[in-house]
Amino acid sequence: MKRSVLKIIKRHIIPALLAAGIFMLLGPGSPARAADEYNCLMCHKHRYSGRIDENGKRWNYNVDEFLYNHSVHRSIECRDCHSDIKRIPHDPVTQNVNCGNQCHIKPPFAQEKFSHEKLIGIYNQSAHGIEPQDSEELKNAKPFCKYCHLNPMYTQISEKTVLFKESLQRCFNCHPQRGVIQAYRHMAHRLRKKTSRSSQKIVQLCSTCHGDVALMKKLNVSERALTAVESYNRSIHGKLVRLGSQKAANCISCHASNALHDIYKKDDPRATIYKDNIAKTCSQCHEKTNSAFINIAVHPSAEHEGNPIIYLVSIFFRVVLYGATFSMVGLMLFETFGRWTNGIKLILINGTSWRGQSKRRSKKRK
Amino acid sequence: MSTFSKIVSRPIDFLTRTKVQEDEYFTHVDGVGSVPRDIYKYVKSNPIGDLPRYSVHIVIQHLLVFITFIFLAASGLPIYFSDLFWASYFVSLFGGIDVARSIHRIAAFIMMFAAAYHIITIAAGTIRKIYHHEFDYKRTQLPRLKDLFDLINDIKYFLGRAPYRPKMEKFMYKQKAHYLAIIWGNFILIAAGSVLLFPDIMAQLFPETLGKILPPAGADTDSYSAFFQDLARLMHADEAVMALILLAFWHWINVHLVPGRFPIQWTFLNGKITREHQIEEHFLEYLNNLKEIPAEREYMKNLLKELGIDGSKALSRADQNASFSQPVDAAPGEKT
Repeated sequence: MKRSVLKIIKRHIIPALLAAGIFMLLGPGSPARAADEYNCLMCHKHRYSGRIDENGKRWNYNVDEFLYNHSVHRSIECRDCHSDIKRIPHDPVTQNVNCGNQCHIKPPFAQEKFSHEKLIGIYNQSAHGIEPQDSEELKNAKPFCKYCHLNPMYTQISEKTVLFKESLQRCFNCHPQRGVIQAYRHMAHRLRKKTSRSSQKIVQLCSTCHGDVALMKKLNVSERALTAVESYNRSIHGKLVRLGSQKAANCISCHASNALHDIYKKDDPRATIYKDNIAKTCSQCHEKTNSAFINIAVHPSAEHEGNPIIYLVSIFFRVVLYGATFSMVGLMLFETFGRWTNGIKLILINGTSWRGQSKRRSKKRK
Repeated sequence: MSTFSKIVSRPIDFLTRTKVQEDEYFTHVDGVGSVPRDIYKYVKSNPIGDLPRYSVHIVIQHLLVFITFIFLAASGLPIYFSDLFWASYFVSLFGGIDVARSIHRIAAFIMMFAAAYHIITIAAGTIRKIYHHEFDYKRTQLPRLKDLFDLINDIKYFLGRAPYRPKMEKFMYKQKAHYLAIIWGNFILIAAGSVLLFPDIMAQLFPETLGKILPPAGADTDSYSAFFQDLARLMHADEAVMALILLAFWHWINVHLVPGRFPIQWTFLNGKITREHQIEEHFLEYLNNLKEIPAEREYMKNLLKELGIDGSKALSRADQNASFSQPVDAAPGEKT
């Protein structure tokens, strides 16, 4: 009996432990490295590489390898985006990066190389796309890809809460439909919500321009759009998002579909907030949406500039609040004074709290 | 005398009267003797409480409301004041705003349960008392004209213009005002809160047709559902802040910090009130206690005997000096 136990240990358990040890040694592997076939980082890794140009503008040429390794573009070659660089060392770069470039990565099941072109097509049609009749000022003010997408997206999300159908729609933004389910299962961890950025980040991002009232005034936006950020922050959605809610609606939740970049003005029939589409947009969260519900103001106006009845009610409440508080607290102070002068002490000791002498005004009777 | 002239003359009577009749100072109780109004200065009372005031149901309801109110305020205030620095710290106490909202709803439902429990208790108790022919509306929270006069007379007492506090029932003017405020506040908070919690369902309860019947609710709002939603947003928050401020600056100070009540009254746990408190602020209820509790009758009888009160002599030194049996603003010549 004992021998057979020893045999089992010798034959199975020790080799298994050895194998496990080897795997543990190999397990951590080598650290992730950025795709850098042409060794651009040889020069660009230096911290203070840069120059000051003729206009006195400072240019920073440093690329932080760590940050790049952890960005979404980590497996894209530098030259896939910086396509005007033909030889190394390269001439001064004159062209901006075009996100519509085809890079050298083929998505799964696709025939063509990957590109953001499709998404850019949607974006150019949206309210943010530059149109020929726009003024020069407006053209400059409209954001472009890099304006919003400078930061890497890192958010970790539990797989249990993946919303399959809604998220799948996001894949079609870039990938062909065929084989997308496998691809989805492969990397669904980022796709729980509409955006992989947190709601707070989205609100922050949109507010950089839309919250800038001076800029918005210059661009002649409508009265409602001028106060959009302010009124959103006043709403329950805005308050909850500010406090860290992951459920409450952010800007994108209502103003874009799952294609994300298709933000249109209110009177455009394609807009998610167009009067015929609002019910569908609200029903993403509010399941029992009805025709009366969609009239509720999502961006509530301030008390004093909205409905006069609401304003009167708010004044009434304020009057009641201050009136009740001051009169009641005053009465209490009054009462304490009156009882104190009549000889009450603070604490009930030895069966009574009336241990003091009454200091009341008294006149002697003859 | 007609009712109208009574209504007109009584407040004037109360306001102008400065004399206190002897029979108002002494109250004769059968089997006890004459109880002076300021006997509360001479009684012994147990700080834990001597006389019954609230039933166990009321104590449970108060505890439920007390605990849920703290949770409701702690989870609701940071949403209202979300732009202030402490809001996020408050929220992180609960483990995030989404958890805090769930807690707010659970606490709200418990508070609503307490309200329903209270209504059932009061209704059943009233029916029982009517059945046994014990019901007396003066011992309930129903507001009366007397409460207004009590308030006026009490202020006169605090100013030193009246010798004694008015004789008040089981619930004095302060408690009645607070009780009415709680009913009003609960109604507003529950109604507005359910509009906020179920905006989609409640929107259907205020359909478009309402707009055709009622006058237009304003230029900017598109419909009645929007109007009521705005109203609910405003009222829920304002009413809650008001409730919190009144509770913190009035109720808590009144039951904890006022002399004689410091540091705590145990009424909220055992439903009992101290003897001196009962006599001072609820004299008429104390007379009921004397009728209903033989031990209390015995105690008072012995106390009166000990103090040597025979119903003709005033008790305290101030009264022996008869400070208030004369008008305070007497002519200077009378002073010496």
